[in-house]
Amino acid sequence: MAKVAIEMVKKAGVNLDQLVELLVKNASAELTTYYYYTILRVNLIGLEGEGIKEIAETARIEDRNHFEALVPRIYELGGELPGDMKAFHDISACPPAGLPKNPADVKAILEVLVGAERCAVRGYTQICNMTAGKDHRTYDLALAILNEEIEHESWFSEFLGEGPSGHFMRRGETSPFVGKFLR
Amino acid sequence: MRTFTREELARCNGRDGAPAYVAYRGTVYDVSKAFLWMGGRHQALHEAGMDLTEALDRDAPHGAEFLEPCPRVGRLLPG
Repeated sequence: MAKVAIEMVKKAGVNLDQLVELLVKNASAELTTYYYYTILRVNLIGLEGEGIKEIAETARIEDRNHFEALVPRIYELGGELPGDMKAFHDISACPPAGLPKNPADVKAILEVLVGAERCAVRGYTQICNMTAGKDHRTYDLALAILNEEIEHESWFSEFLGEGPSGHFMRRGETSPFVGKFLR
Repeated sequence: MRTFTREELARCNGRDGAPAYVAYRGTVYDVSKAFLWMGGRHQALHEAGMDLTEALDRDAPHGAEFLEPCPRVGRLLPG
């Protein structure tokens, strides 16, 4: 626990309990998404699916990185992860990104992927709004994650034919924004 | 369609077996089965049993379209 850091956050007018709960819920969303994306990635096969598999894998690894990056901040702010993994799953800030009924339907898998990313974009926007100018460290972290979630959303959106993402997929290293929190 | 006073709505808070209802612009929605309303709470910020009109229109990072899949169970009486 970082006592002075907590004091500063409270003094700035942030509702600490709400913020910590949101961070835990988003940590759950990241770890459960990592799990569900594993299943989605495995099922991205065939001529259509193989083209998307690599980018789904990048999003999967980066979501796990987001979980890893969130955990230290939760504990710094006096929070903790639930001891019960099932309870942790059920408090996720985003619904389960489950495999569609027809696992061969690549478009349906893409819709699950983009839906999960859009939920994350909303969640981190909320945290940025709560912490901007008040809790600089959480804001910096949430903004870094938000940057990556927006890229994930735009990748999957492009594959769905909604328009160009405007950028390439990763070349080499993952988590260009969140990486600094993982060192 | 059933009508709710604010007090009646407040009792539908998703706790102790009560259903989880929320209101938006006069319509009452049943969010009991929504994953993001488990236990009558939403994103650490909102409680069931409340009129969420102001929160949805002003602060939420999403619109009322997220309530559309939830059953409409009544109207919230003004005042």
